[in-house]
Order: sequence, then C-alpha cells, then structure tokens
Amino acid sequence: MKILALRLFNVKRFAARGVAIEGIGDGVNVLCAANEFGKSTSFEALHALFFQLHSSTAGDVKNLRPYSGGNPLIEADISTQQGVFRITKQFYGRGSARIIDLGNGRLIAQADEAENFIASLVRGGTAGPAGLLWVRQGMTGIEKRNRADEEGDTKIRTSLLQSVQGEVEAVTGGRRMSEIIAATEEELSQLVTRTGKAKAGEPYAAAIEERNRLEAEEQRLAAEVRLLRDALDKRAAAAKRLAELDRTEEREERRRNVEVAQVAFGTAKSQFETLRAAKVELELIRVQQDTAQRALETFKSAAEKAVTITVALNEVERKRLEAVTNRDMALDTAAKARAAFDAAEIEEQEALALLVRLDAMLKAREAHERLGELQQKLEGAEVVLKEIEQAEAEVVLLKMPEKAVTELENIDVEIAKFRAVAEAGRSSVGIAYEPHSPIVSLSGEPLREGKQRSYNGQAELTIPGIGILTLRSGQPVGGDRQLQQSQERRRVLLALMGVEDLAAARLKQVNEQYKKSDLREKKMHLSLLAPDGFAKLRAELATYRAVTNDMLEVKADPAQVRAAHEAAEAKRITAREAWRAVGPTQSGMEDAIVAASTQAAVLNAERVQMDAILGQPAMRVEREEQMAAQLADFNTRLAEQLTLVKGLQEEAVDLALVEATLNRMRSVAEAAMKETSQLREEIAGWTAEIRARSEDAVEEKWRESIDALAAMGIRVVGYNKEVAVLQRLRDALATARSQARETYLLPVMNELRPLLGLLFDDVSITFDEKTLLPDRIMRNGQEEDVERLSGGMREQLSVLTRLAFARLLAKNGGPAPVILDDALVYSDDDRIERMFDALHRQAREQQIIVFSCRQRAFQKLGGNALQMLDWTPAE
Amino acid sequence: MTFRFIHSSDLHLGKRFGQFSGDLPAQLREARHASIRRLAEHAREQGASTILLAGDTFDTETPSPMVLRQALTEMRHYAPIHWVILPGNHDSLQAAQLWITLKAEAPENVTLAVDATPLEIAPRVMLLPAPCTTRRPGRDLSEWMDGAGTSEGTIRIGLAHGAVQSFSEEDGGLDVIAPDRARRAGLDYLALGDWHGGVEIDQRTRYSGSPEPDRFKHDRPGEALIVSIEAASALPEVTSLETGSFSWRTMKLDLVDGDDAVARMGELFPEAHLRRQALVKLVIGGRTRLDGRTALASAIQSARPDFAWFEFHDEALATECETDDLDAIDIGGALRGAADALFAEAGSAARSAEEREVARAALGRLYALAQKVSS
Repeated sequence: MKILALRLFNVKRFAARGVAIEGIGDGVNVLCAANEFGKSTSFEALHALFFQLHSSTAGDVKNLRPYSGGNPLIEADISTQQGVFRITKQFYGRGSARIIDLGNGRLIAQADEAENFIASLVRGGTAGPAGLLWVRQGMTGIEKRNRADEEGDTKIRTSLLQSVQGEVEAVTGGRRMSEIIAATEEELSQLVTRTGKAKAGEPYAAAIEERNRLEAEEQRLAAEVRLLRDALDKRAAAAKRLAELDRTEEREERRRNVEVAQVAFGTAKSQFETLRAAKVELELIRVQQDTAQRALETFKSAAEKAVTITVALNEVERKRLEAVTNRDMALDTAAKARAAFDAAEIEEQEALALLVRLDAMLKAREAHERLGELQQKLEGAEVVLKEIEQAEAEVVLLKMPEKAVTELENIDVEIAKFRAVAEAGRSSVGIAYEPHSPIVSLSGEPLREGKQRSYNGQAELTIPGIGILTLRSGQPVGGDRQLQQSQERRRVLLALMGVEDLAAARLKQVNEQYKKSDLREKKMHLSLLAPDGFAKLRAELATYRAVTNDMLEVKADPAQVRAAHEAAEAKRITAREAWRAVGPTQSGMEDAIVAASTQAAVLNAERVQMDAILGQPAMRVEREEQMAAQLADFNTRLAEQLTLVKGLQEEAVDLALVEATLNRMRSVAEAAMKETSQLREEIAGWTAEIRARSEDAVEEKWRESIDALAAMGIRVVGYNKEVAVLQRLRDALATARSQARETYLLPVMNELRPLLGLLFDDVSITFDEKTLLPDRIMRNGQEEDVERLSGGMREQLSVLTRLAFARLLAKNGGPAPVILDDALVYSDDDRIERMFDALHRQAREQQIIVFSCRQRAFQKLGGNALQMLDWTPAE
Repeated sequence: MTFRFIHSSDLHLGKRFGQFSGDLPAQLREARHASIRRLAEHAREQGASTILLAGDTFDTETPSPMVLRQALTEMRHYAPIHWVILPGNHDSLQAAQLWITLKAEAPENVTLAVDATPLEIAPRVMLLPAPCTTRRPGRDLSEWMDGAGTSEGTIRIGLAHGAVQSFSEEDGGLDVIAPDRARRAGLDYLALGDWHGGVEIDQRTRYSGSPEPDRFKHDRPGEALIVSIEAASALPEVTSLETGSFSWRTMKLDLVDGDDAVARMGELFPEAHLRRQALVKLVIGGRTRLDGRTALASAIQSARPDFAWFEFHDEALATECETDDLDAIDIGGALRGAADALFAEAGSAARSAEEREVARAALGRLYALAQKVSS
C-alpha cells in the first residue's frame, strides 16, 4: 500500500477548516513544518483513519474533535495492487466510512464493509505486523501505551526494550502472550506434571486415584454381592428341595416302598432255594442213570469182544506153527549150500597155485634169452666209444679261431686296396721314343713307348748315351704305412691259424667240418647201443644173470591151467550166491514166529480183562438182566424230576430284579435322608453367610460404590478434558509464537543487521534470538549496559526496526508505508545524516513519510517535500 | 362403604447415593426414611386406613438391620394404619433372609404380601398381590389374578410390581405385566410399582411413583396416590399427594445468539429458599458467543452453593465466534494467530468431534484469559 494524499477537515486545531497533503510519492516524503503547525494533527488523523472505527467514540477519537465540537472528516487516497482508492471517514455525527474506487469513481464499500476493507489493508495477515509502520516522537508502537510516556520530557526512552518491543509484541503477542501462557501453564501445572502425567497430590491425580480405588472397591463389592446372591439363590433352591423331601406323604411312601420290596424279595428267595434243590436232585439222578447205562453197555461190549478174541487166538496159533516148520526147512537148505561153497573154494585155490608156478617158469626163460643179446650190445658199445675218443682228438687239431677265415679274407681285400691306392699316388714317368733311339731304362728296367712307369722316392733313369738321370719325388709315403699294418695283422693271423694263406685256411676248415660230422655219427651209434648209459646196461645184465640161475621146468599148458582156474572161480561164486540166498528165508520165518507169539500174548491179556468184566460165566446172563432193570428205573426217575424242575422254573420270579428293586428303594430312602440332613447343613451355612453379609449391608455398599464410581468417572473425564484443553491451548500459543518468530522476527533480524552496520560503525549490538530484543552492546570492544544507550541511539534503533519490518513486508509482496513523526529529535547531525542514508536506501523499495519540525536538520534529508494546503471537502 | 387407601411404591429404603459427596448422601437417605412418616401423615389426614406399598420398599435384597428395624418401627408407630408390603424386583422373595426377618419382626399393622393368594385387607375388600418371586421372574406374575375368585360384591384390588409394556426402570423383557390386567381380572384398581414417576395407565391402573425421587429421570416431585373406591365395580377416585422433600430438577436452557444467557438461566432457577432442597441438572444447548459462554461459566460458579447439588452439561452448546470475538483476544500477532488456529480447528470437518470440542474449549479459555490479562 502507498498513501497518495491525506485530507482532513474539522480535526483538532482545524475547527471548521481543513488541510490537504497532496502528491505523496514513492520514496522519502518529508513534511517539514514548525511546531503547532498541524503536523502532528495530520499524523493523528492518518492514524485514526486506519485504526479507529468510524462508529467509535473511544478516547482517541474524542481527541480528534476540535474544542468547538463537530464531526471530524478524514480522507486519504491510497494505491494498492488492486487499484487506487479513496478512503473517507467521518466520526461522531453522521459517522460514516466509504471506499471509492478512483479508477471508475464507484463507491465500493460503506460502513462495516469499508472498515473490513481498511482492516485488510492494515493487517498484513493476522499474525503479521501492521500494514502501516509508525514511529512517533518517543513512541514506538501503535498500541496504547502508558499515557505517562506521552507527557513530559522523560516520556521518551524509558527503556531501550520499549523502543523495539512494540513491533516485537505486535508480532509475538508480547507480554499478554507471555502472561496467558504463564496462566495456562499455571493451571496445567495444578493438574499434570511436565511430562503430562497426573500430578500427585493435586485434585486430578486424586480423582484418578479415587476412581481407581472405587473401581477396585466396586469390583470387590460386586464379587461379594455375587457371592451373596449366589448364596441366596442356592439357599432358596435348597430350601425348596428340602421342603419337597421332608413332606410326610413322601417319607411314608418311601418307607412303604422299601417294605413291599422286602417282602417280595423274601418270597422270591425261598422260591429260588426250592428250585435250586430240585435242580441238584435232577443232576444226581442224571449221573446215576448215566452210570447204569454205561455199565450195561460195557458188559455187552465185553461179551462180544470175548468171542472175537477166542477166534483170533486160534488163528494166531496156527500161523505160528506154520512158521516153525518153514524155518526148519530153511535151516537145512542153508547147511547144504555152505558145504558146496567150501568145496568150490578149495578147488579154486589149487588152480590158482598152479597158475603162479607156470608164470614164474616162463619169465626165467625169457631172461636167459635176453642176457646174450645184452652181452653183444655191451661189447659193440665199448668199440664205438674208443673210436669217438680218437675222432675228438683229431677235431681239436683242426680247430681254428672262430671267424678267422672271414677276417683273413677281409684283410686280403684291404691290402689289395691299399696297394692300388699307393700305386695311383706315385710319380710316374713315360717316354715317346724317336725312331731309332736307344731304350731308356728305369731302375734297371726298360721304359717302353706309351707306357707310364711310377716310382717311389727316387728312381734312376739310365739313358744310353747320356748317362743316368736321377728322379726324386717329394711325396710322402702314408699309404704304405696302412698297408704295412694290414700285412702285419695278416701275418699274425696266419700264424695263429697255422696256415700259409687263405687257400690253406679254407682247406683246413673243410677238413674240420668233415671230422665233426663223423664224430656225430659215432655218438649216435653209441646211444643206440646203450641208450641209458653203460651202468644201466651192466645192471640189467646182472639181473638177467640172477634169474637165469634158478630156472625150473613146469610141464603144463599155460592156457589149460588158466581156463581151469577160471572155471573153479565161477563155481565158487555160484556156490556162495546159493548159500547167501537161503539166509533171508530163514530170518523171515523167525520173525513170523515172534509176531505170532506176541499177538497171542496180547490176545490172552485181553481175554483176561474181558473175563474180569464178565465175571463168572455162570452168572453172566443174570447179571445183564439185573443191570438193564436198574437202568430202566433211573430213566423213570429222571423224567419225573425233570417235570418237577420245569414246573418250579416256570413259577420262579427274577430274584436279581426283585433284589435290585429292594436296593433301589432302600437307596432312595437313604439318599433322601442323607440329602435332607445335608440340605439342612447347607442351609445353615448359607444362612450364616447371608446374615453376615446383609448385616454388613454389602449390597447397599455395592450400589453406593457403583454410583460413586460413575460420578468419579465423569469427574476424571472432566479433568482429562480440562488437561486436553489446556494442553491444546498451550500448544496453540507456543506454535503461534514460534511461527511468528520464524516467519517475521528472524527475517527482520536479517534485515536489521545491514542497517545497523550502516549506522553504527563503532557499535555492535547483539540481539537475543528468542525475544529479539537487544541483548548486549559492544562499543570499542567494551560491553555496555543496554540501559545506558543514548536516547538518540534508541530512537534510531526504533526507526531501523520499522524499516527492517517494512523491508520484509515489501519483500513478501505487501509494501507498507513507514511513517515517522518527529522520530529523530535526539539524534545528532552526524547520526541523522547516516539515518537519512538509511532511509533513502530503504526508500528505493517503499514509501516513507517523515513529519518533522527540525527544518534545518531535515533539509539534508532531501526527498519529496510535502506541503499542507487548505482544503474544504466537497459536499 | 367406601374403601380409602394410599398407593405408593419404590421407597428404596437404604439407598446410599454414592455419586454425591459430603452430607448430601446422608440427607437423601434420611429423606427416604422420612417418606414413611409423610405417607402415614397423609393417610391420617385423608382418612385412609391402609397404605399399599407396591414393591421395592427396600433398595437391596439385604438391607442393613438398621434400615430394616427402623422402617418397621416407624410403621408400627403409625398403627392402626395398616401397611401392606409387596416384594418388588429389588427386594424379591429370592432374598429369603429379608423376608424371614420381616416375618419375624413385622408388627401387627404390617402385612407381607408374599403369596399369590387373595388377602382380605378390610371387610369385603380383597387384595390380589403378585409378589416378585425373583429379580427377573420372566413371566407376568399378575396372570393368576384372572382366575382368582372372590365373593360377589367384594372390592378387588390388584398389587403388582414391574413394567407394563416396554418401559421399566430396569431392562424390560418377558416379565411384562399385561396393561389391561385390571380389565381381564375384573379388578377395581391395580396398584403398580417400579416406575418412579406417577403414571396413569388407565382409569383403574396406575403407577404411584416414588414418594421421594431418587434420580433426574422423571422430573416430577415425590408423590403418592390416595384412592377411594365406593363399592365393587365403581370407578376409583384418585388424587395425587406431594410427599417429596428433595426436588430433582432437570433444567433445559436452549440459547440463541443474542440471548442474555445468565438472565435466561436465572429465570429457570427456583426461588432461593427452595434451592437448598433442590438437586439441579442444567442442560445447556443452542448457541452463544464466547463472551456469553464465559459469563455463563462464572454465573454457574457463583450459583452453585445455593443448591443441594448442581451439575451442568454444555456439550450441546455451540459457541458462535465472530471476528470481533477474536479481535477481543488480539487484533493481530501471534495471540491472534493461536486464536485463529483454534477457531479453524473447532470448525474443521477433518477433525474428530472430540478434537473440535477441545479446540473450541481451548479457544474459550484463551478468550477468558485474554480478557483477564487485558483488564
């Protein structure tokens, strides 16, 4: 917002007249006029226009009226982001407020709506500072202050705190906020501790405690009441049951039931006994009848069996006799067979002896023939052995070292080779004769035409007619040395072999081969004659000689003898088999005899038994008849007894059932008795319990505790709510204060700091972060008491704070004019100029309106000089 | 011959009133005992020979011996007035000990109607009682009256305790007395107990109400009925008699914006000299401004000591809050910020009802504190 013009009529000293300040522009605007010129009146009018309701008759409004009375009229043109508006207010008579849009001349709001419009201009949001920032002579805030402050010379600068406090309080709620918070905390502290728990000893905690106590009490009493009611219910039930049980007719009926059951049981029991006796008798007769029947049957079967045994005995005796006869016959046959076998055996022995002798004789004869043959062989072998020894000696003579012949051959070849080489390397000489020339000879031998002659070392050419020509060759004679070595090896080898040359060696080798094969032949011959050596041959010879010595003569045909022996042998075997065959027949007969005798013994024993059963034969028939009669008698008795038992059984009642009935009746009676006495006891117990509790009036107490608990519950809830409300309030206040600090105060501090630097180069002021009030002042490194700040510095601080706020508001998009009314009366010229610099610096971004009476001093401020003009409102 | 009797019920002798504190519970308890005297005095004045107590004479099944003895002694004191005591649900026959003691100690002028059989209480006047056998009998105990024969020309009076239809002091249910029992059983009058406020069911059937109220529910003074029956089949003539010593009043204060809440409340209060015997439950509804609320709260604080008991419920009272109310806290700055935040929260649909209520109360408190600090 910016103020463009201010007009006032009938305000204070301007009774029935008006002034207008027009053309208020951006930046610094200065209205400089002497005291009592109407400057402060303008200031107050401007203030009232924005902060007093047109309907108000408050003291401040009252002060606006001239002494002569009348209705003050104030008008201001303003410019905002929304446009340019005229605000007109008339106080007292025909009080009104109007807003006119100067853009189109339309009335846009009147009365309360107009007030709302103004309020929205001056309140930059409810938590923010006012949209107009005022600094009055010594006054630091827009709110009502101690009136004494406005009067007298001491009115100004009571304390530094006040100089900044105004805006700080406007934002943080200031002292009122602190007091309200303190009051809230105080009330809260009556109820809860800092951590929000109910405070011990205070009503809240006491209420909670009381509620908890009542809760426990109620539960305890409820439990007791439950017990009591339970006892009442149980006793009622017991009493009802007891009354039922104790009724005379019920008792009588139970007694009668027992009696009837007892009688029934007695009858049933005697019936049961009779039946049991009859059954025993029946059983006895049944046993006797059974015995008689079995005796008769035994007798009859014994008689039958006796006849069978007699027949069997006879048959067994016959079989035994037959077996004896057969055995005797078998014994006889066996004796004969044995004799035949013995004879055959002797005969076979004899034939065998003869055969042995005959064999011995034949062997001796064969040995004799062989002895001569062996003698011849031995002699031949000895001749051959001698020949072998001689041949071996000859072979030794012919033996040469192995491979010597081959080596000799190699050496010969080598020699020939060396010789040829030697020949080829030698110097040679040839000659071509002229016709008729004498023959030249070399080393005594003629040198022929066209034939090359070689020589070694030195040769002499004898040339007839000329003399002897000596030829010398400088060649070494290396090849000769190898030749000599080979020739030496050949000589040694030949000596070793004992031959003269290769041909002789070959002949000797052939001879050796020949002798060797002759020797092999002889050795073969010897091995034929004595294959196992001479010793064996000689031993064999000695054996034959021995056999031949005791040679005897048997005159018999060997074939005949052998056949005879074989026949004897066959005969012996046959006889033996015959003898053997007789054995089993004999033993079988023996067994048959034993079996027959045993059977007879068994049968005899049985017959004795039967006889014992049957008794004397004479009495047997009579006895059988007697037994039959007895049996018939028992049968009759048995039938009679059966009928009797059956009849009794049909009559009998179930004893167990009757007894059960009796027992049941008895137990019913007993249980009733027992229950009666138990119920009486229980009732007595419950009665005592009920009496005790009702004398205690537990139920009344319980109901009382329920009511008390409900009431206390409500109280606790009330306290809970109270605590919640106070906590909520405390939180809301704390949040609002800290928000205000964060939103405005800290940014203001940031704005303030550069301004301070601009003004006070020798002083540094630190501000308390929480209260934002000056905290410490350092001048030339010395800490000073805040209270001792000069008045000038205080007012400067006050102005700067407003400027800082204004700057913040402008930054936030809501620029607010700063209005200074004689704000710098205490500042010296040097300071004031610095102040002016600060103002101009700020004025770049907003509107500053300065009212001052210090015309001379404020000449240096510059800025837009404002004029007060006479003004009369258009009707 | 006209038969005149007093019909009362629900004396609840021995009730302790634990929800109150100080002397009040004792006074209320004593007032219940005193209702015996007041009934007897009324009987004498009205020329009634008999007082029928239709159940719940005692508050519990096991009243303390003192309560019991003193009640009987008091009744004896007013002989020859004839008292008939019917077991109710609070003092049912299940409480055998109580009835055994009563039987043993009851004076001659006290009759215990403990059997469901006709009882001659005056010449040619037959009483047909329906005693409660248990706390919750689960059936209509008065049914037997239909078939109970009495000789021609006899006045038939039924005496029963319990709910007719669905209203009852305690949970209703199966044990509901047929509302037309008087017609069905040919009763000249059916005296009912259980409901603590007097109610007429039909011309011959009534609840007498308690002679001494014991709760805020009914908002009626303590009363009893004097009944006159001229002859069999004649319509009974019934008149109500005041018997209460304490009054239990529920006051409803419905405010609209602009009301002077304190003055409106003052109009509701009884005369000053009656307040000592009055228990008041003030239920405040409607809407008011912050200042009205603050003023009301302090007026209540100041009125409290007048009364035997005073409680108020303002949960239903909505607080109207206007800008100037907030202005009264502060026109700007952090205080106003806190007030705005609380105001917004009190009206925010996003908050629970409880939170809104707390915010509203906190705002009220802030207002009150701001006023105090400013002054």
